[in-house]
Amino acid sequence: MNLSRPDRRERLDRLAAEFALGTSPPRVRRRLATVARRDRVVAGALSEWERRIAVLADRIPATTPPPRVWRNIEMRLGLEPDRVPAREAGWLRRIAFWRALSIASLIGVVVLGVAEWRRAPVVVPAPLVVVLSGADAKVGLIATATRGERYLTLKTVGNAAPGQDKAFELWALPQAGPPQPLGVVPQGSVVRVPLKNPVDETLSNIPTLAISVEPPGGSPTGKPTGPVVYSGAVERMY
Amino acid sequence: MSGDAQARTAAGERGERLAALLARIALSDQRAFADLYRLASPHLYAVAIRIVRDGALAEEMLQEAFVSVWHHAGTYDAAKSQPITWLTSIVRNRCLDWLRRREIDTDPLPTNDDGAPAWEPPSDGPSPVDLLIAAADAQALRGCVDLLESGPRQAIALAFFQGLSHRELASHLREPLGTVKSWIRRGLATLRRCLDAAGSAQ
Repeated sequence: MNLSRPDRRERLDRLAAEFALGTSPPRVRRRLATVARRDRVVAGALSEWERRIAVLADRIPATTPPPRVWRNIEMRLGLEPDRVPAREAGWLRRIAFWRALSIASLIGVVVLGVAEWRRAPVVVPAPLVVVLSGADAKVGLIATATRGERYLTLKTVGNAAPGQDKAFELWALPQAGPPQPLGVVPQGSVVRVPLKNPVDETLSNIPTLAISVEPPGGSPTGKPTGPVVYSGAVERMY
Repeated sequence: MSGDAQARTAAGERGERLAALLARIALSDQRAFADLYRLASPHLYAVAIRIVRDGALAEEMLQEAFVSVWHHAGTYDAAKSQPITWLTSIVRNRCLDWLRRREIDTDPLPTNDDGAPAWEPPSDGPSPVDLLIAAADAQALRGCVDLLESGPRQAIALAFFQGLSHRELASHLREPLGTVKSWIRRGLATLRRCLDAAGSAQ
């Protein structure tokens, strides 16, 4: 039905009023929102009513949201945190940015995974997944693990490589405190990084993993010495 | 200067400030985004809490709304709406979409053993009708709300401030669905005439 037709303006006006007030049935609500995206008359009617209705909200007593809301927004958008300790600022900033990107990539992987799953009858999901991506949002490696196992499986995506006479080293980034080395990533398209303890224990308080470029034997100092090239959020499916 | 005029000037200054911030956010200015959050989030959070009636969920709605603002600040048109109206609509629509998704094919509002609604408006704040009257005061629109009979007034207040749908209103007010729908329809028509007349008189 074309709501923009002049003889239907009254009906459009009523529907727009109920949309702005919020009482429209779900189906009507969805349809109006969709139509408004391409029909300027409908969009105009909605925003007219939103303007009228919004004045009613003026006197709702304001309530300051908890600080975590802003932190989550910053994280989701990969913004630079307002306040970070000076020494760690560069590191944390890069991680926050990449973390947001890798969540986006993970969603992509999951969507692809679902599409794949519809075709393939059997899929064994990895309970723990980390999509490690770079500053350009390109996925470099995907880490997976099963609870109780003492290793992480890493698959290289595309042509991620540490360069000649260099190695990738995997790091666990705790909420607070310095990165913890997990081990040098062996060469190969699908490899394992052995862990001292079961993976769910090792990563129990670890929100993020990262990969830096190091000398062949790994960082000589116990801290990342080369650039951090990939990072990603630890996603647990349990 | 009268109190009303002072309030209008303050609202105008706030509007200009928010509009300037939105323009900078459209250019990916993170500092402007943080300023906008500090200025607008207490109001928007309060709007969300009243509609979804759950602090954690309201936080989530606020997050989603601000993520959307970051991406779509460029679509804000100062000629068409006040910035706070635009922002409030984003938050309200998020909350309402969430409520309506939940409502599809679910039972009406829960009731206690005696058949009374199991939830009540937040008791620590003003009721929806109080807020409607306060809003009318704020906008020097006393007459508009006074024009509403008590049924339409209560239905509109509950719908606006707490996000109740037609069906939920009917169950909460214990009136037939048809009655509630016509209250809303009549009430909105009355408000429209009055608000538009007051708007053009300013």
